[in-house]
Amino acid sequence: MVTAPPLTPTFLLGLTALAVLTYDSVWPDSTDGSVLTGISVVGSLASLAAAGWFLTAGTGLATDGVSLYADAVVVDGMSLFFTALFAAVTILVSLASFDYFAGKENQGELFGLMLLAATGMSLMASANSLATAFVALELVSLPSYALVAFLKNDRGSSEAGLKYFLIGALSSAIFVFGVSLIYGATGSLLLPDVAAAFESGLGDRVGIAGVGVLMVAGGVAFKAAAVPFHFWAPEAYEGAPAPVSAFLSSASKAAGFALAFRVFVVGFPLGPAASAGIDWALLFQVLAVATMVLGNFAAATQDEVKRMLAYSSIGHAGYVLIGLAALSAEASTNGDVMGAAMAHLFVYGFMNTGAFLFVALAENWGVGRRFEDYNGLGAEKPFAAVAMTAFLFSLAGVPPLGGFFSKLFLFAGAVEAGLWWLVVIAVINSSLSLFYYSRVVRALWFEEGDHDLSGAPTALYAALAVALIGTVVLLPGFGPVIETAQQAATALFA
Amino acid sequence: MNPWIAIGALAVVSVGIPVAMMAVSSLLRPSVPEQGKSAVYESGEIPTGTTRIRFNIQYYMVALLFVVFDIETVLIFPWTVIYRPALEGGASMTEVLAPMLVFIGVLVVGLVWAWRQGAVQWVSSPRALEEKTEANQ
Repeated sequence: MVTAPPLTPTFLLGLTALAVLTYDSVWPDSTDGSVLTGISVVGSLASLAAAGWFLTAGTGLATDGVSLYADAVVVDGMSLFFTALFAAVTILVSLASFDYFAGKENQGELFGLMLLAATGMSLMASANSLATAFVALELVSLPSYALVAFLKNDRGSSEAGLKYFLIGALSSAIFVFGVSLIYGATGSLLLPDVAAAFESGLGDRVGIAGVGVLMVAGGVAFKAAAVPFHFWAPEAYEGAPAPVSAFLSSASKAAGFALAFRVFVVGFPLGPAASAGIDWALLFQVLAVATMVLGNFAAATQDEVKRMLAYSSIGHAGYVLIGLAALSAEASTNGDVMGAAMAHLFVYGFMNTGAFLFVALAENWGVGRRFEDYNGLGAEKPFAAVAMTAFLFSLAGVPPLGGFFSKLFLFAGAVEAGLWWLVVIAVINSSLSLFYYSRVVRALWFEEGDHDLSGAPTALYAALAVALIGTVVLLPGFGPVIETAQQAATALFA
Repeated sequence: MNPWIAIGALAVVSVGIPVAMMAVSSLLRPSVPEQGKSAVYESGEIPTGTTRIRFNIQYYMVALLFVVFDIETVLIFPWTVIYRPALEGGASMTEVLAPMLVFIGVLVVGLVWAWRQGAVQWVSSPRALEEKTEANQ
């Protein structure tokens, strides 16, 4: 019997990217994106199916994990969980790109870059060595820069790409410098060996290791768009084509967190690190508060919907950081709270992608970017407006939607871990977010507006529908998601 | 004595010497302003135009394509070194050969794609052509 390699979901994403490039080599001048979209969607679906199957079919991967290539890569519950998320977001974004980029040139590049970035994200979730982590990080970053600047004749898009590239290059340098310091202090790039060095005491190399940990935190903060490396996010999300913004703000952010979860939990065990004076949980508490307060307050003052969503995505990075901030050495609550953060990222992957796809739809219709420009869209395009309303209320965490449960579990986990003050700040921020999300809802339904809208682009509508199903079905389906996530997270602490 | 002092001294001296040389020569030399001194140096040739010219974007594409072969060479070299010892050490042909074939296959897909996108097609710059025809008239 032939057994599938454990990295099958990652390989499938990479092979799909190669298939897209091959198709584009044969027909380089085609402006019809239907085949490319088809290849991307089918390939991502296959990857999603493989990840889901490995997670649920009792292959043992979900609980025990398996390490490959001299321990450089590990496939376990967490990497499969995140790969499923990346594949799902890639499906949504590929579908939406079909209409958004219809008739444009260079569509092969678009889908190729997107799939290569997804491959990198999936590898990031599997990285068990700091070297693999850096290569995977670059495999995500380089296509992302090009994707943001994809509309090369559009000033906003080019400017956003340049800003993203400059900050990205800086933070990549910081990350890799941090990695070199960790290597200097511990003598290994493999996370388990780094952890062993932490446990056997660092001696007088604590200072070097501390600076290294801080710099690695900076690198992942960039990917996750968390303070202090969040500056690129509003610019890049606003200037980028909306499907690309959706991709970056959901999948790329989740990839940053996947890397952070594994590197910090496996590589820098909190017990020995904290007793040596490198208390990174404290660092993440500070970052979580700063990120959610800054993200939410800045979002409340925006005039443009896309920019508001960009700042709200920074705010959500703050919530997810609670998953790292609430950890403490040897605590039984660690797996629960980090699993809840993973589940929140999963739900967020659907609702945030959905919200950005509605912006893509609005851009496709030629509606303006400000809140007022969305006036009266509800009466004209009820389905899309209902979907957007669901995404926004879910993002705000209003009870009957998926976002409520993930936030509930996350905050409950943090309270159990004794961080009630952090939860108080998070809840205040969450209620503030309801204010600015409901501004869009009010514009959609309660204001009068006049638009001259062309029809309903099928693929974008399909992507919206899938995201809506994802957001709503995660109500009854939230049990399995949180169980899988918490099981995967607990396995990491074992 | 702290060994870092030596490194600090090196830094001070290495900055100090050029600064001192420039300062002393500016004090000693007579000032003779002349046009030839500020002209672009072209090994005795009389320069035509300024130094700030635009290179064809095509050089950039060639440089990028070069990276493909560069990386390929870097990784094939160690592989050729271990190839025979690995086979003699009992590794099967597939184990040794297949990964490299896969790697080269991925690069070939990229190269063919770039080729088909016209990366090696030497585009003519319309602006340069225009300037050339203007100069001929």
